[in-house]
Amino acid sequence: MRSRATVPAWVVRLYGRWRKKRTAWFATGICVAVAVLICAPLLMIPGGSLMDGAEMRQILSPILGDGRGFAAWHLIPVYPTIGHFYRLLIESPAFYQLFWNTVGMTAAILLGQLVVGLPSAWAFAAFRFRGRDFLFGLYVVLMLLPFQVMLLPQYIVLQKLHLYNHPAAVILPAVFSTFPVFIMYRGFTQIDAEILEAARLDGAGELQIFFRIGLPLGRMGIQAAMVLSFLEYWNLVEQPMAFLEEQATWPLSLYLPQITISQAGFAFAVAVMVLIPALFVFALGQDALEEGIAYIGVKG
Amino acid sequence: MFLLPGFSGVMVFYLLPFLEVVRRSFLKSGNSAFVGIENYRTVWGNGAFVLAVRNTFLYMAVGVPLLMGISLILSLLLRNLLLRRRLVSAMLLPMAVPAAVMVLTLQILIDRQGVINGVLTKVSEQMAALPAFAAIDYLNTEWALVVVVCSFLWKNTGYMVILWLAGLAALPKEVEEAAQVDGANRWQNWHYIIRPGLSGSFFTVGMLSVLQIFKSYREVWMVAGSYPQEHIYFLQHLLQNWYLKLEFDRMAALTVIMSLVLLIVCLLLQKRLE
Repeated sequence: MRSRATVPAWVVRLYGRWRKKRTAWFATGICVAVAVLICAPLLMIPGGSLMDGAEMRQILSPILGDGRGFAAWHLIPVYPTIGHFYRLLIESPAFYQLFWNTVGMTAAILLGQLVVGLPSAWAFAAFRFRGRDFLFGLYVVLMLLPFQVMLLPQYIVLQKLHLYNHPAAVILPAVFSTFPVFIMYRGFTQIDAEILEAARLDGAGELQIFFRIGLPLGRMGIQAAMVLSFLEYWNLVEQPMAFLEEQATWPLSLYLPQITISQAGFAFAVAVMVLIPALFVFALGQDALEEGIAYIGVKG
Repeated sequence: MFLLPGFSGVMVFYLLPFLEVVRRSFLKSGNSAFVGIENYRTVWGNGAFVLAVRNTFLYMAVGVPLLMGISLILSLLLRNLLLRRRLVSAMLLPMAVPAAVMVLTLQILIDRQGVINGVLTKVSEQMAALPAFAAIDYLNTEWALVVVVCSFLWKNTGYMVILWLAGLAALPKEVEEAAQVDGANRWQNWHYIIRPGLSGSFFTVGMLSVLQIFKSYREVWMVAGSYPQEHIYFLQHLLQNWYLKLEFDRMAALTVIMSLVLLIVCLLLQKRLE
């Protein structure tokens, strides 16, 4: 204490401010480094998709076969070409089929989840009925189970319904997934219960309340559920692998790993086409996405 | 009734078939004779099952604490930063990256002749003080588990950071301010105020991390295929491979065992979620 008394007050103040700033800079530095590390692998993709086949073969030759030396990577290709995109977009009609398979599947699932899931979520949020807590608990458990546990049960039912090897084998179970119900439910619980009470007192019908109050006020939860579902189903792998035998009905996400590394440039071009819609939705739905994840953790 | 259409679908596609699997786990596939717990015994005595259980637990024991620790530290650092929103978005980006895309870049990076080994070799050549570096065959040695854990961390860190940040945002600001006025240092602030306040989040993040471990199978399968290096042979591989071989009786028993274990995790978590 005595030593401090000899230091002018403004020096102490400046030092304190610097110390505070220093911590902030330090924290920012670490977090930026982590964020960059996380995003870095993605930087390989655009370059790879525009890289000439010969250049790619040359830098990847250690992986591709001769077994000596190490592969290198050029973030910006030395001989850029749009040849892979030309081959993919102009010369491969199969690509469009797979692309539209993915789009169709994802769209059908999202639409189905809205039609089926919204009323369910509303039922859990707006009404107290017998067995509600038990049923809701069941929904939560189902949403948390990994797919492999449901693999055999779903196979059995899809066989019984003669849906095996039909796109509906992937779509229908996903439509009745309980995860979006949970997220939308969380969105609905943010609505003040008094508003619903008031509406009921004023003689509004239940349907009216659902459409006029529930849907507009629970918007955030609905958006969050849709963004999370899109990212999940755009990236489907296990379900089509297990239930769809015909390659013509596959989504892109299952087709991409079939391209061997010797055609890496072409694979990167496909990757760009798979990535663009996902990044687009990610960018648009960011707030909803973060909100949705927070819904999972915080007690409603 | 608002719930009816949704619930009937859940019944048809989830609940009823699951009960059917429970029933079948006591039957012999083919002639459907009742065999009691024989299927369970077969699973229990299966070498691949023992290996898969051990690997899955090891993966969890390494992956879950690492994920929780890293994401907690990051969220504590991020909490009061100006750039917070941007940084959280950047960390969340892997959620938007389809597994197939990630695997493509991973193949080039971690191959025995890949970019990472190349960089490490160069570094060790440049610095004479370091011991010579021998290229690691990541996917065909014990290192496979390291690769899997890293990809798990890569994919889930942003997700858990958001959960932690939500927990931190729920802490009352006044308490911390009052403590600061009273001269609490950073360690005391963490030990007496933040840590107890986050106990609920600890639990939630922990359980969700466990469940994400099970969901990370997609990446593992895409990187290493159906029969990977023995350290990353997990329960899901076993289920998938029995499925392909149509060994439905054992598969039913294993499904029941796994869902019972996961059910316990879920029930613990669920108390928090409701």
